[in-house]
Amino acid sequence: MMYNSAMANFDDRTLHGQREPRDTGLLTRARRYLSYLYGVGLVALTTLVGLPLRSFVDPTNLVMLYLLAVVLAALRLGRNPAVLVSLLGVLAFDLVFVPPYNTFAVADAQFVLTFIALLGVGLLTSTLTAQAREQTRAAQDRATHTRTLYELSRDLAIVLDPVEVAQTVMNHINWVFQGRAAVLLADGQSLEPVLDSPDFELDEEERDAAAWAHRHGQPAGHGTEVLNGVKGTYLPLRSTQGVMGALGFQAAGQPDHLTPEQWRLLEAFASLTAQALTRIDLTREARQAQLLRESEKLQAALLNSISHDLRTPLASITGALSSLRDDAAFLDEAARALLVNTAWEQADRLDDLVGNLLDITRLEAGVRKVQPELCDVQDLVGVALERLGERLEAREIVLDLPEALPPVPMDLPLMAQALVNLVDNALKYSPADEPITVQAEATASELHLTVRDRGPGIPDGDLVRIFDKFYRVQRSSEVTGTGLGLPISKGIVEAHGGRIWADNQAGGGAALTIVLPTEMPSNQPAVEGLA
Amino acid sequence: MSETQLRALVVDDERAIRRFLRTSLTANGYVVFEATNGGEALEAVVRDRPDVMILDLGLPDMDGTQVTARLREWSHIPIIVLSVRDQEGDKIAALDAGADDYLTKPFGVGELMARMRVVLRRVAHPEPEPVFATRDLVVDLARRLVRVRGHEVQLTPTEYDLLRVLVTHAGKVLTHQQLLRQVWGLGYEGESHLLRVNISNLRQKIERNSARPEYIITEPGVGYRLRLEI
Repeated sequence: MMYNSAMANFDDRTLHGQREPRDTGLLTRARRYLSYLYGVGLVALTTLVGLPLRSFVDPTNLVMLYLLAVVLAALRLGRNPAVLVSLLGVLAFDLVFVPPYNTFAVADAQFVLTFIALLGVGLLTSTLTAQAREQTRAAQDRATHTRTLYELSRDLAIVLDPVEVAQTVMNHINWVFQGRAAVLLADGQSLEPVLDSPDFELDEEERDAAAWAHRHGQPAGHGTEVLNGVKGTYLPLRSTQGVMGALGFQAAGQPDHLTPEQWRLLEAFASLTAQALTRIDLTREARQAQLLRESEKLQAALLNSISHDLRTPLASITGALSSLRDDAAFLDEAARALLVNTAWEQADRLDDLVGNLLDITRLEAGVRKVQPELCDVQDLVGVALERLGERLEAREIVLDLPEALPPVPMDLPLMAQALVNLVDNALKYSPADEPITVQAEATASELHLTVRDRGPGIPDGDLVRIFDKFYRVQRSSEVTGTGLGLPISKGIVEAHGGRIWADNQAGGGAALTIVLPTEMPSNQPAVEGLA
Repeated sequence: MSETQLRALVVDDERAIRRFLRTSLTANGYVVFEATNGGEALEAVVRDRPDVMILDLGLPDMDGTQVTARLREWSHIPIIVLSVRDQEGDKIAALDAGADDYLTKPFGVGELMARMRVVLRRVAHPEPEPVFATRDLVVDLARRLVRVRGHEVQLTPTEYDLLRVLVTHAGKVLTHQQLLRQVWGLGYEGESHLLRVNISNLRQKIERNSARPEYIITEPGVGYRLRLEI
């Protein structure tokens, strides 16, 4: 039928489709014969109606009855039955109403004119009326077609992923064709169904037909010239980037022939589906590009900050060392000690920065996975304070740790770092003679660990932002730090399924709280022994 | 070269690290030998007969754990492993393979010297003294008595065994695996909760403050160590 171009790609596998007789036109043909039969009946009826009037109505006026029949036939039965009615009408008129009756002989030659006029008018009327009928029907079809497509495109406009697209198309195909559908998309080399109707048959042969449609960008399967032994019809899903997959259609029950109109509709469906899928692809790409731009911006900011934070301690170290190397003769013992201490402190700071940077990079890149193991909170606090070591100096640390705290699943080296950063923050942002409190509290399912200081607190607007990378509360320019500590703590805590936040205490000073679930996470089996 | 001088072998592929260690160790009275990879290290142990070895974990030809394992087939030389942060897994592997201790880079010379003294003392006195004492902790191994700050402490048999293992390896880090194997026996290597609970109980009994322990120090992710006076 259509798609003769597909003939060019005809391969021998399509031949097996020929064994199925094409019985599907039978119904249409029967309907056509029936309408001719109706035409004959109409002429008979007209003749019967006219017969009683024969004696007192002039035959030329009775012609009008046949004209009426022709118009009726043209309106209801179509063009060809109407032509038949015209012809039969002329014959019947001659036979029944033109003297001498019951013979085709004509007594008066003037009736020949009547015949010709009747025939002419009949043919003309039937053609015109049938045309009008066709046009009306076409207009109605177009309206339906348009409405159907409009509804589909409206529904497709709001979906956000390929599965939803497939679902929408399936629903519409079900409404419009009472059939089943499948959307198949190319996934590497193979063509995989995104979604198909529950009873869509997708066996090896159906898949072959779909794959053919995808590969050649031409329809395949039932009703086409290619691989038409299968149940489904497969239309390529074509986008600007090429063919992305195939739309499969299977009629419910016995496969029927699609009318040209239905073909057009199905093709339009395929085209709309392809458009929707393309749109989703492009949206996704645009979003990725946006993310990339943002991360590039962030990386630029990171680089700026890192290069500053790396160079500052390096400059101090190089300076101190050059002085020791070049000016040794002019330095007394105290000056040398001061320079050495400066270099040591700055190297320590540098190590801290590099360590933090590595931690955050490993966590973000997923290289360092959280490996939780049950740990005592006392141990966590002990490890953190031990790690802070010299940085604590003589600072008073008040520990408020109840005896009966439950063990908490955590990755001890990581969580200790999270706590170190919190205490370090308190050390930096509160006066050296004020104590720092580390307090733990257990609820039914959570552990709350809070580090409190007696410093100036955190401006309300910064309570959330202090957990952003490289953010530092501006006013304390004396404080040296990398602005990485708290973000790392946040990253570590969140990787444990916990939460972290900052607030200000009623009596002054900041309070930073870590909350950890006390249940072992079910999706991450505990790694015993090793960390 | 005096007979009494101790001999140290430094194995690191970084020239700067070797130079720094040579300077510091020489200043502290050691005779220093150097190797830049695992193969050289194994040869140097045979040729130079060092008393102690400082071994970097990341070597170009084989990793430090392999070197340790190969050495332990025939040598008891004390090995101190140098690692960088976040190499817990490698550290544990090296310790389980027989390394004596580890230091995380960057480290101070003071800390290195202290660790070296500890491992060398153990070689010099392979049999532990019957009475161990550090600061306020006294453990009488012969009589199974433990005294802290002058008071006798009652320990359960398991707690005592744990403390005994820590004390006989005082100053050395013991991995979770090593402790579980030595205290509970083979087959208990995965039961880290036993270790956690007993360490916690032991600390309650001998430490002033469990959250800031003086004696039993957690090496996060690796194991525990009984800290000696440095």
